[in-house]
Amino acid sequence: MIPYLWVKALHVACVLLFVGGLFSQAFAVAAAQRGDVGAAALVSVWDRRVTVPAMLVVWLTGAAIATEGRWFESPWLWAKLALVLALTGLHGVQSGRLRRLQRGDLLQMRMRLDHVVAFIATSVVLVALLVVLKPF
Amino acid sequence: MLQPTPSAATAEDLAQIRRLRLLSLVEATTLLVLLLVAVPLKHSLGYASATRIMGPVHGAAFIAYAWSVITAVSGGGWSRSEIARLCFGAFVPFGGFLNAGLLRRKQAEFAPGPTVSP
Repeated sequence: MIPYLWVKALHVACVLLFVGGLFSQAFAVAAAQRGDVGAAALVSVWDRRVTVPAMLVVWLTGAAIATEGRWFESPWLWAKLALVLALTGLHGVQSGRLRRLQRGDLLQMRMRLDHVVAFIATSVVLVALLVVLKPF
Repeated sequence: MLQPTPSAATAEDLAQIRRLRLLSLVEATTLLVLLLVAVPLKHSLGYASATRIMGPVHGAAFIAYAWSVITAVSGGGWSRSEIARLCFGAFVPFGGFLNAGLLRRKQAEFAPGPTVSP
């Protein structure tokens, strides 16, 4: 049995990689729209090799930690899960956009870069507050 | 003259739809096991651990499927009715199996084939 603190450390490390991947995806989408398709290709490789496995480990270790600590009964965890679900969905949207931009498609973007970046940053801050303070 | 389509993005699209096909079947199977095995075991024989195990397993499969649908659909090439079928399939028993034909056809559409140059 892997000790609880090791699982927690792995979870935090993978969260950092996942969030970093989300930011780099957002900037690569913006760069590709301005014609820099090379950045999109580079970030797509990073996404496949690092961000997606990190996201998977985040979900698996998160579920293990929540089960071990019986946190599923706490409302703060469900609020956190909603934010993580939204970030996971954003990852899916951005990786689809990166593929389209690499194919040379012209995209009508409803989401602006600064909005996406603000959304990621705000979500991460809220997740940190919820996990550390456990307010409800 | 026959030319292959040398597109890395197309290969990625194809990998994405293969993943979606697999996750659709996994999601549908775990939903059936949860509803037809774990829930009856809990309520008729008192094996509460059956749902305690299968619940999170299906939850993980559902999230992976939902992420895969979003990733595939955001890559383009899907009609609204196809998207609706993919979403609907996640919530009803056998839905993933009913979508198998649609996903097989989409995979064939995405597969890079030889193109005839003018």
